[in-house]
Amino acid sequence: MWDGMVSGMLTGITTTLIPWNIALVLFGCFMGSLIGMLPGLGPITAVALMIPVTYGLEPTSGMVLLAGVYYGAIFGGSTSSILINAPGEAATVATALDGYPLARQGYPGKALAIAAYSSFSGGTISVFFLMVFAPLLASVATSFQSADYFALMILGLTAVSAFAGRGGVIKALLMVTLGLMLATVGTDQTSGVQRFTFGSLELLDGIEFLLLAMATFALTEALSIVLKRDESSDSLNPKMIGFKSLAVSKKEFKLIAPSIARSSVLGFLIGVLPGAGATLGSFMSYGMERNLAPPEEQAKFGKGSLRGLAAPETGNNAASSGSFVPLLCLGIPGSGTTAVMLGALIAYGLEPGPRMFTDSPEVFWGVIMSMYLGNVFLLILNLPLIPYFARLLAIPRNFMVPMILFFSLMGVYLVTFNDFDIQMMVIFCIAAMALRMMNFPMAPLLLGFILGGLMEDNLRRALLIYDESISFMWERPLTLGINITTLFILFFPMVRSFIAAKKNGDRDESLPVQEA
Amino acid sequence: MSREKVGALTLLMFSIAYGLLAFKIPLSFLAQQEFFTSRTMPYALAVLGIILSLLILVLPTGDPSGKRTLKEETAGMDWMKAIFLVFAMVIYGMLMKWLGFIIASIFFLMAGFYILGERKIKKMALAAIPLVVLLWFIMSMLLGVYIAPGEIFYHLGVL
Repeated sequence: MWDGMVSGMLTGITTTLIPWNIALVLFGCFMGSLIGMLPGLGPITAVALMIPVTYGLEPTSGMVLLAGVYYGAIFGGSTSSILINAPGEAATVATALDGYPLARQGYPGKALAIAAYSSFSGGTISVFFLMVFAPLLASVATSFQSADYFALMILGLTAVSAFAGRGGVIKALLMVTLGLMLATVGTDQTSGVQRFTFGSLELLDGIEFLLLAMATFALTEALSIVLKRDESSDSLNPKMIGFKSLAVSKKEFKLIAPSIARSSVLGFLIGVLPGAGATLGSFMSYGMERNLAPPEEQAKFGKGSLRGLAAPETGNNAASSGSFVPLLCLGIPGSGTTAVMLGALIAYGLEPGPRMFTDSPEVFWGVIMSMYLGNVFLLILNLPLIPYFARLLAIPRNFMVPMILFFSLMGVYLVTFNDFDIQMMVIFCIAAMALRMMNFPMAPLLLGFILGGLMEDNLRRALLIYDESISFMWERPLTLGINITTLFILFFPMVRSFIAAKKNGDRDESLPVQEA
Repeated sequence: MSREKVGALTLLMFSIAYGLLAFKIPLSFLAQQEFFTSRTMPYALAVLGIILSLLILVLPTGDPSGKRTLKEETAGMDWMKAIFLVFAMVIYGMLMKWLGFIIASIFFLMAGFYILGERKIKKMALAAIPLVVLLWFIMSMLLGVYIAPGEIFYHLGVL
C-alpha cells in the first residue's frame, strides 16, 4: 500500500511541480481568495466563475487551478466573515461566531492569521488522510457495478438532504428531484429522443451545468445583495489591518494546537460522508471544541475565543479535502462545490471514479498534490496579501454588483457564444431567487442536476443486466449494503428526534409526580 | 400561508406540469415495448416531486425561518433596483449579437452602475471601459478566442 502511495505521490509531484501548474495554483489561490472574499460569493460561485478559464487547459492543469480556487475561496470567505461578519457561504458562518468579535476587539490581523494557520494545518493533515484513504477506496471501488453506482448516487443525494438540518430534509430532497428533472432536458443519450426541448434547437444538448451553477449561485447572490440592501462592507476600514497585526504569539499557538489536531480528524471524517461537506465539518468542530473546553474558556466562545475560531476554520478545510474522497474514488460529489468540479471533470472528457485512479493517475494524484500546494501557497502568498485583499471589501456595492453580474454572464457567454444562454440564465436566476425566498436550498438542486444523467444511465444498465428487474437493489450484497446505509442516513435523524421527543414527553409527565 | 408552503405549492404545480409533459415525449413503436424508455425517469421524478411537495404542504413546518410569510420575508427589499438589473441583463443578452461584446458590455456595466446609484459618468466609464477592453484583450489576443464583432458594423459597412 505504502509503495503505491509513494509512487502516486511522486506522480502527483512530477505532474504538479512544473512551473506552469505552480503558476496556475498561485493564480487559482489568488482568484479564489479574491472572489470568495466578496460578500455573498462562496466557493461554488468561485469555482463556477473560473471554469471557463480552464477550458483551454489540460485536464490536470484545469483541476490544479480549480483546487487552488476552491481553497482560496474558502479562505476568502473566512476573511469576509472575520472582517465584516458577512460569510461568503454557510461553511464560514461558524468562523464569524468568534472571528468577528475578535476583529471588533481590535485584533482583525490576529484573527485572520489564526484562520490562515488553522486552514493550513487542517488542509495539510487532511490531505495526508486523503492520500492514504483515496487509493484504498478506489481499489475497492473497481469491483463496483452499475447497480452499486446507482445505489451510491441515491446515497449521495439522500445524504445531502439528510444533513440539511431541522425541517430541511424533505425540502432538500425536493430540490434534488428538481435538479434531476432539469437534467432530463435535452436529447436522451441512449434513445436519441428529445425531452422537454419545446422545439428549441438551443435545448437539444440540454442545460449547460455552468449556466445553471452561475444562475443559481453567482447571479442570485449578487441580486440578493441589492434586494437586501446589504451594505456590510461599508463598515470596514482596511487601513486597520497591517502586517504587524498578523503576529500570533507562542502561547496562542499552544492554545489552539490541540483544537487544530482534533478538528482536522473530525473535519476529514465528516467531509468523506457524501453530502456532509465543509459546513457540517466547521459547525461540528466548533461544537466539539466548545464541549471540550474548560468552563472559563467555554464562556469565551462566541465572544472572540481563539479556539472557537481555530476549530471551525480547521474543520471546514479538512472537510473540503475529505469531500474529494467520494469525488475522486466514486465519482460522487460530496458537496455543492465538488459537484461543480465533477461537472468540470466530465467536461474535460474524464470519468471520475475508481477507474480514474488507474486510467488517469496523473489527474488523480495531481489534484491531491495540488490541494496541498494550494494550502502552502495560501499561507505564504495570501497571508502577506491580506491587508491588500481587505481593500477589495471597501469597493462600493454600486460597482461591485454589476461587475459580479458581468463576470457571471461572461463566464457562460464566452464558452458557448450563444446569447440565448444569457436569457436562460436570467430565467433560472429569477426562479432561483424565488425559491430562495421560499427557503429552499440551491446546492441539492445542483447536485441532483450533475448526477441526473449518470443516475439514469446506471439504472438503465443495471436493469438490462438484471433482466429488467429491480431485484438488484436487494439481491446484490454490496448494493443492499449501500441501500441500508441510505435508509439509515435518511431515517436516523427522524428516529433520534422521535426518541428525544418521547424522552422529553416522559420527563414532562413525570415532573408533576416529582413535585407532588 | 408560510413561504415554505407557497414554495411547495409552486413545485407541486411544476411537478404536475412536468409529469404531463413527460406523456408527450415521443417514443418509437419498438421503444414502447421496452421496460425502460425515455419517459421512465421523468415519470418517476414527477411522482416523486408530487409526493415530496404534498408532504411539505401537509406536514407542519419544522424550520422556524420557513414559517415566515413571503410578505414578511420580502418586506423592505429593494425591488426596483433588482428588477432594473434583471431588465438590464435581458437587454444585454439581446444587444450582444447586434452591438458586439465590447460595446454591449460597456453599456451593461454603466447601466448597472447607474441603476445602483452612481451618477458620475467619468467614474462609470473609467470602471467599465478598461475592464471590458482588458477582458476582450485577454480572450481574443492572448487566448486566441474568436469573439464576433456586432452585426451592426456589417450593416453600417464598417466591416
